[in-house]
Amino acid sequence: MPRISGVDIPDNKPIRVALRYIYGVGPKIAEDIIKEAGLDGHVRAKTLDEDQLAQIGGIIENSLVIEGALRRQVSQNITRLRDIRSYRGDRHRRGLPVRGQRTQTNARTRKGRKRTVAGKKSVKGMK
Amino acid sequence: MSRSLKKGPFVDLKLYRKVEKLNQMNKREPIKTWARACTIVPEFVGHTFMVHNGKLFHSVFVTEDMVGHKLGEFSITRLFRAHTTGTKAQRAGVR
Repeated sequence: MPRISGVDIPDNKPIRVALRYIYGVGPKIAEDIIKEAGLDGHVRAKTLDEDQLAQIGGIIENSLVIEGALRRQVSQNITRLRDIRSYRGDRHRRGLPVRGQRTQTNARTRKGRKRTVAGKKSVKGMK
Repeated sequence: MSRSLKKGPFVDLKLYRKVEKLNQMNKREPIKTWARACTIVPEFVGHTFMVHNGKLFHSVFVTEDMVGHKLGEFSITRLFRAHTTGTKAQRAGVR
């Protein structure tokens, strides 16, 4: 199994897919990397030789923030919003949607699983 | 959609002039403002703004980290008091 940029070990998949196993690399960036390296995106990751892997690693090193560094960057951004007491920081703190979505219904991704509230009228009953 | 770069950030002119004046006099005093949509520019750092939220003025001390945000982001407009806890019977008992 080839190793690219530290611990990431993509496998038996075409490299344009395998690269996406790296945190911070999605479809678009994977294509960009392949284009810059002048490779064919359809070849399997295991067929790449050392030079090609080093080349891909170099491109990533030079132009991208990935994995731990990216995770750190994201959480720092959130911490900043919290520290300056902005509205967005407050939404992060409360675990509610940050970008103005509705919360009367839905928003379950942020709010987590439904907690039933005793005595709350059902939607049908509100009419 | 984000704002066109051509226009630059929106800064409330009246407010900006007021800050400039204070900067020239090297004075710091709270500025009452309704300009919630005004972007915070580096000149504002260190000033205190009283930002209207529709009802009252929240005091906002501008730090370097706030540059690029809008004044309104720091003066919330909604009031959330916690939901009541327990059952109706319990609450009646307390009263």
